[in-house]
Amino acid sequence: MSINTVKFVRNRQTDEMNEKNKMTKAMTMGYEEKLRTYEKGGWKMSENIEKKVFDIEPNPHSNDDDVEEFLNKGINEVIKQYPKVKKILEEYDIGCTICSIGTCLLKDIVKIHNLSPEREQESMASITKLFYPNKEIKISQITRKAQSPREIKYSPPIKKLVEEHVLIKRWVALIPFVVDNLDFDSEENKQVILDGVDFIRFYADQYHHAKEEKILFNYFDENLDILKVMLEDHEKARMHVRVILDAMKRGDSDEVIKHLDSYREILTEHIKKEDEILYPLIDEKLSITQIGKLFSKFKDVDQQFGDAPKKYEKFIKKLENKFKVKEEVTK
Amino acid sequence: MKVLEGCPGSKMLDFRDQDEKEESVGKIKSQLRQWPIQMHLINPTAPYYQGADVVLTSDCVAYALGGFHRDYLKGKAIGIACPKLDHGQDVYVEKVKSWIDDAKINTLTVMIMQVPCCMGLVSLAKTALQKSERKIPIKSVVVGLNGEILQERWLST
Repeated sequence: MSINTVKFVRNRQTDEMNEKNKMTKAMTMGYEEKLRTYEKGGWKMSENIEKKVFDIEPNPHSNDDDVEEFLNKGINEVIKQYPKVKKILEEYDIGCTICSIGTCLLKDIVKIHNLSPEREQESMASITKLFYPNKEIKISQITRKAQSPREIKYSPPIKKLVEEHVLIKRWVALIPFVVDNLDFDSEENKQVILDGVDFIRFYADQYHHAKEEKILFNYFDENLDILKVMLEDHEKARMHVRVILDAMKRGDSDEVIKHLDSYREILTEHIKKEDEILYPLIDEKLSITQIGKLFSKFKDVDQQFGDAPKKYEKFIKKLENKFKVKEEVTK
Repeated sequence: MKVLEGCPGSKMLDFRDQDEKEESVGKIKSQLRQWPIQMHLINPTAPYYQGADVVLTSDCVAYALGGFHRDYLKGKAIGIACPKLDHGQDVYVEKVKSWIDDAKINTLTVMIMQVPCCMGLVSLAKTALQKSERKIPIKSVVVGLNGEILQERWLST
């Protein structure tokens, strides 16, 4: 078995390749097996092509490769053409398939989700198989610098935002219990909703989201798709809060429940997107000077808010005790 | 690389067999923006430390790491020390603390070699941070004997 290193995997029908270049001729010469390796931007892929082999070095600069074409397409476009890609990505907890913009490239969204090398390899094999159902595609081992899969090392200011997410996630985990116990005849129960809304408006929105919108996002181009998606989520969450408060005034419990649930769904996905995609991306882009400035600006915000965040932590703890929910489940 | 003898910090290693690749030509500009640089000699409140990103590096790093000036020193102020051989390192702790509290430095990057005795410099920076009123991000960078970056990580603040 000989190995030729090429820029990316080529996987063509023999007749098509004959027309393309010399490599195609070599492929038709009838050898037993050929392994080709692709390496680009961290990906390493190889392909077993039965009964074919190359005699000559493939052209590493070819542009006519379908796999690369798909890897470089926006996720929505790929799903439109191959709907099953959506299901495969979801199986690997890659939630980008519901993104309203969907212009992030397929190769980037798989890479950024920090799957273990084995799962990344497996997911790419499944996706590539959709493109070429009649060929046996093997993705070779993916190498990473990181030692522990799914372990993301955040810079100190970004880590602070992730820690704030934990308290928001604890509230989100409590929403089903709050909803189940919702009784508009009880002032105490009504107050729980009002306190929860207060937590959302003050802690999640004014304190946490404001750090993102007024400070963090300013380091980047406001037209970035990923930022637009995050801002859209913030706006949706605010809209649900407004509707909940209106419904509270009218005593419309169904509407309160409906919008609390919608809020829970949005925030769950939103936090996951930020923790696993946006924040690692931001950490990669920021210079050490910017990280220092960001840390300092976040400290200023923390000082302005004083002990208020602790008050909200007590509120969440109290609810967890009331509904006997363990704090650890949401971490 | 031939391993001849010695403990991790001082054992003799011979890198001469390694492939020599000339990667750049012409005069390389120094990125050093200050003097002095040795931790006993520096004044931690000197103007070039004010609000700066500072690199605190063990002496050997700049010799091992080929791209030290371009990749780590550029745009930063510096202090150098040997955590194994230098005396009076209590003074170093106080000077790092003064960087943080008085000069209000923006970040600190602590660069050490992979040998165990170099870890003392990271401990020194952590101690200074704990004693400081201000908090800043501190990153540690571990350089291999062959000049490769083995690890970059943020220390908890």
